Amino acid sequence: MSNAHAPAACGRSQLLLRLAAVAFVGALAGAFWRIPPAPAPAFAPPAYTPPGTASTPLPAFFASAQLPQAAASAHAATLTTLPDGRLAAAWFAGSREGAADVTIWLSRLDKQGWSKPQALANRESTAGAVFTNIRKLGNPVLFTDGQRVHLWFVSVALGGWAGSSINHMVSDDSGETWSKPTKLVTSPFLNISTLVRTPPLPLADGGYGLPAYHEFVAKHGEWLRLDRDGRVIDKTRMAHPVRSLQPAVVALDEKRALALLRDAGPGPGRIRVATSNDAGLTWETGGAAGEDLPLPNPNASVALLRLASGRLLLAGNGDDGRTHLHLWLSADEGKSWTLARTAESAPDGGAEFSYPALLLGADGRIHLAYTWRRQGIKHASFSEAWLDGGQP
Amino acid sequence: MTLTAAYGLLAHGLIFGAFAALLPLGEFRPRVGLAATTIALIGGIAPALHGVFGPPSPTLLLLALLQLANRTPSPLTWPIARGLLLFAPWFYLPALGAGGFDPYALGYQPWPLLAALAPVAAVLYWKRQTQWLGILAVDLASYAAGIHANLWDALFDPLLLLLAFGLGCRQAYIAFRLRQLTAKTGS
Repeated sequence: MSNAHAPAACGRSQLLLRLAAVAFVGALAGAFWRIPPAPAPAFAPPAYTPPGTASTPLPAFFASAQLPQAAASAHAATLTTLPDGRLAAAWFAGSREGAADVTIWLSRLDKQGWSKPQALANRESTAGAVFTNIRKLGNPVLFTDGQRVHLWFVSVALGGWAGSSINHMVSDDSGETWSKPTKLVTSPFLNISTLVRTPPLPLADGGYGLPAYHEFVAKHGEWLRLDRDGRVIDKTRMAHPVRSLQPAVVALDEKRALALLRDAGPGPGRIRVATSNDAGLTWETGGAAGEDLPLPNPNASVALLRLASGRLLLAGNGDDGRTHLHLWLSADEGKSWTLARTAESAPDGGAEFSYPALLLGADGRIHLAYTWRRQGIKHASFSEAWLDGGQP
Repeated sequence: MTLTAAYGLLAHGLIFGAFAALLPLGEFRPRVGLAATTIALIGGIAPALHGVFGPPSPTLLLLALLQLANRTPSPLTWPIARGLLLFAPWFYLPALGAGGFDPYALGYQPWPLLAALAPVAAVLYWKRQTQWLGILAVDLASYAAGIHANLWDALFDPLLLLLAFGLGCRQAYIAFRLRQLTAKTGS
């Protein structure tokens, strides 16, 4: 009997093998077809030319205001101009940094001032949407592209900040309502250790380059290339011999970009530099001379902005720690910097003016938001003339 | 619920059931496996596993399905498990931050990876490894369907490595017992 069945079994196994081979070929073709298109990247030109240009500069002015308090402890502000023209800020606040009750809040600036904060995401809403364990929430990043507002924010599944991943939400009505969060897949091991802090740069293909950073095993900057729907289509590491975090990136032209990073190494730190000559495909350590900036950095986040005049504005803390928030200017694409202003300082031990965010408004005003003593978020607006020493 | 979340929840339920079916319960093993799958899906175990590990690779899911269907021996033999364990540090350590190269990034634009899988499939065909050829086809189909954003995640995952490690421990235990037995017989 067994001898009689042997040819049939052999024929069946041969058929199965051929079927598997055909399935493999079909699936391979499908996989090739599914690879997201990623043409050679280029930075998109600015969407508008601010009216406050060098020919009609805004007069010197400076104004500041506290944002409404959402909770006892607030940190990590981000700014954007909404499609309806209003300025918006988002930050995280709760009973303390890393607490389970930390929520991402949004406030808008209109004629009456900053609006009552609107809760965008908390631990429960995020966990329910992305079906993962969430211990706490962290840094948000706002960005407006046309009629769509993006929000990326950090959530931690396991352990400390090194166990973070990035979530993404969008709004098509100037931040009134938001989509449910989705999770960006950036790591092969429990999808951990990718964080955001600074806004993305729009790419010519409609996608974005999102500066990110990694904290597990090593600390370094990363560059996530996203398609127009926010899906990761490529990832590049900003390897640096010194532990560095939170790259703040500006495009110098269609291909060149400058990233300034927080020094996360031991001892007195300096602002670290990475540059790209291919719109983020590859990153090199150091600036044009291959060196980091001579500016101090006390392991604190920095913000970087290209002004209407073409100069670069850098906001960050100096060698006096987080008690002083400084503004530096560069007229040579970041090769040399001069201290323009100190936005805020205080000598008492509880003072912390940190985690700045910068934005160039459609009217040419420069906006700065930062953590104010961990108790709230402060917003300041000013002109280039004020940065140059003009008195309001 | 997204397609990825639905896949992840169902897959973790089946994987939990397959682990339960490994228990030495004789003819009851398939039934225990199915019962454990049901308990995992409705009792919160599958969501908890998905919450921590994310969606598993189809490779692990198909190995679990073969186990639940009582198709023994498993295609995950010790030489294959050993290969996975040898490959893992070279992949996970740099992908998790060591050094300047991130191999995980290759999975977003996986032209070279897919091209490399074609000769692997040819070898599997030549060696008549029908099950592995089928598993590889399903891995690629799941990537093509958009369940996984990165091709590496469709091929393997940390739980699969844990399984390979368990297989290694079992192998080491068997070798140890054999040595003990040989020593006793010899004396």
